[in-house]
Amino acid sequence: MTDSSVPKGPWATPPKAAPAPPEPTGMQIDFVGKRGALFWLALKTGFFTILTLGIYRFWMKTRLRRWYWSAMRPGGDPLEYVGDPIEKLLGFFIAVVILTFYIGIVNLLLMFVSFSVFSAASVGYIASFAGVVPLWFYARYRARRYVLGRTRWRGVRFGLERGAWGYAARALMYWAITILTLGLLWPRMTFALEKYRTDRTFFGSARLTQGGRWPMLYRATLPFVVSLLLLATAVLWMVWLDPVFAEGTPEPQDVAKTVDRMFETGRISSDLTAPARLFLIPIGLAGLLFGAIYYRWMAKRIMAQHKTARGIRFASALSGVRVSFIYVLGNFIAYLFLVIGILTLVFLALVTVGFDAVMADDLGLLGGYAGLPRWLSFGLLGLLYLGVFLLWGVLHNTFVTFPLMRHMARTTSLPQAEGLRLISQRERDAFAEAEGFAEALDLGAAI
Amino acid sequence: MSVGFNAPGARFFEGDRPTPVEISLHIASDSLQIGLDESRILHWPLEDIRRLPDMAGKRGAVLRLASDPLARLYIEDLSMLARLPHPNRTSPPKGRARLMAWALAAIAAVALQIGFLVPLLADNLAGFIPARGERALGETTLGHIREALSETGLNPLEVCDGTEGAAALAQLTERLAAERGFNQDLTVSVLDHEMINAFALPGGFVVLFRGLIEAADDPDQVAAVLAHEIGHVISRDPTRHALRSAGSIGVLGLLLGDFAGGAAVLFLTERLISAQYSQAAETGADRFAHALLKEAQITPAALGAMFDRLRKKHGDAAGVTAHFLTHPRLSDRIDLARAAVDPAALYRPSMLPGDWAALRDICN
Repeated sequence: MTDSSVPKGPWATPPKAAPAPPEPTGMQIDFVGKRGALFWLALKTGFFTILTLGIYRFWMKTRLRRWYWSAMRPGGDPLEYVGDPIEKLLGFFIAVVILTFYIGIVNLLLMFVSFSVFSAASVGYIASFAGVVPLWFYARYRARRYVLGRTRWRGVRFGLERGAWGYAARALMYWAITILTLGLLWPRMTFALEKYRTDRTFFGSARLTQGGRWPMLYRATLPFVVSLLLLATAVLWMVWLDPVFAEGTPEPQDVAKTVDRMFETGRISSDLTAPARLFLIPIGLAGLLFGAIYYRWMAKRIMAQHKTARGIRFASALSGVRVSFIYVLGNFIAYLFLVIGILTLVFLALVTVGFDAVMADDLGLLGGYAGLPRWLSFGLLGLLYLGVFLLWGVLHNTFVTFPLMRHMARTTSLPQAEGLRLISQRERDAFAEAEGFAEALDLGAAI
Repeated sequence: MSVGFNAPGARFFEGDRPTPVEISLHIASDSLQIGLDESRILHWPLEDIRRLPDMAGKRGAVLRLASDPLARLYIEDLSMLARLPHPNRTSPPKGRARLMAWALAAIAAVALQIGFLVPLLADNLAGFIPARGERALGETTLGHIREALSETGLNPLEVCDGTEGAAALAQLTERLAAERGFNQDLTVSVLDHEMINAFALPGGFVVLFRGLIEAADDPDQVAAVLAHEIGHVISRDPTRHALRSAGSIGVLGLLLGDFAGGAAVLFLTERLISAQYSQAAETGADRFAHALLKEAQITPAALGAMFDRLRKKHGDAAGVTAHFLTHPRLSDRIDLARAAVDPAALYRPSMLPGDWAALRDICN
């Protein structure tokens, strides 16, 4: 800081501001912000959420978004999230009013029919789920519209045009096609839905366009397809060509027994033919998981390369392997810390409350053994559940969402950005129900 | 006097074009003067300048004017912040009345739903479920309850099946049902849990907890509780209740939002077990129990004795632990049970001592 007093009035000799660097044609996206800061923010807001029995979650989500958005800095200038917790709360109320009748009455009727006609709950569950699916797609589009409408960069708003029902209809159609073709046309669905969203996305006055064609996504499916083929070959080999189990396909209980015996005796049971081949199955499944993550993110990368606006192009150097690594390692660390955290809590409880009290409470947690009314025990158990759930959310934010966002920001760039000069502000998207439907239908779990 | 600030790193966006503007910054006479090109100067009163919250990264801050929703000033020289009187003041929330209106509407909608529409529908539909469907509903619900009450969360709660104890229980059920012949529609089982409780489920399932059998002074009290729960089964109270819950649980999941799932199921289980039927349903089940006990030549006073036992055991302060204590007007119900005793009648104990011992041992 230079507290340079200027004697001759403020503007006689204005302190020379360094000229803003000439706008380079290209632009990189930076990511600032430390993991520790995010962890504390998430922990703090998560704690408030538990204290307020969930009401604060609208504030939590807003504050976390503000943080993530401001960490992403295209050309050095942070994105800004201007969403308001109160409008989220309002949107939630609106969604409750509308959805409560649908969900309550429809579920009851479905259950009735399910038990009366089919004597089983499953039909009711499936029908109840199927009824919510279109609403789910609708809500996803609305939520995206809300989030984009509340995102700014350099003071200029992003936006998404209306079209949630159109999106839901297309999503249902493409899902049906994908299922009917046994997944062969999955890339077509990925591309078409992303194009639908991108072509309705604006930054200021500039409309984004999704270029390219859907077959280009097939190269992202390579690891998944290879894993699938490997797994299929392995299963074929072990079940029909040269069966591992001498007496045909065994029952699941028998497999469990064989594994038990293997651990007890330390020897691999002799009635198996070359059992080492069984390890191909977990390897194949891991390959499928990797393939799925890889496809999802490489598809994003390929499509980002083909997004344009007037005078603006995007490029992405996202690494599918890196993203898979983040998912695996991040989730592993999150679960590890979760277990350590819970054990620490239990230990602390043992130390502070005393062993006997905790054990007695544990034994009688549901039974009012320790003289607690049962509704209170259930309430405490509920709080504990929420606590663990939120702790997991905090860890997931810290070890999965944070590195993912960082990787995404740093690998995305705008090789051509002169078009920014042509852009001006767009109207505010007044949006009564915010992301209420998405919130109520449990879509907002990401960020 | 005015103070100039290091403008390098500072950028200003007026809120129309996403291109940075060269600026100079001064503070003079309680306002921040932002010098743009062509000698245009913006005056931001210091007390109306706010800093954006929850920014990532320690370097730099973003400032805005309370009255201007769009313009943003990025500074890297944080010394200016010390001169802002209210950088973190939040603006009063807008549309508070609207928020309140929708909040009330949401509460009203949920109340109408859970308190009126769902019960109305459930009560009317319960009579139309065929026996097979009712049975399936009961089995599903029992499975849920056993899973929710398991200590480890891995294996569902054990059903006690000590051979002699089960035989004693079957005999008791038969004796209670003898006159009316609904024996084959009932499935009475004991769950290995110390809760002092019993409940009925759709399709003729009656479940006693081990804790209840252990808390009872004599077999008559267990018989009385069994008769009471059979009363619920006969009047199809559990079916109505389960249908109601099916309607309510979705609404509940909706309210709890992101972390629903488990919490909602937990709540549902609590509701099913504590089964707060209406006062009329309880009185009906009591009356049914009195009659059934009388027919089986077991004293109806046992029901009152069981209530009384629970009340004494837990006292009034620790209070509402057990199932029965949460039911309406307990002392009235005790009185009614005592009044149902016919002084001229000859009552027999509901079980032989050997059977009673076997029943108490059913979980071992």
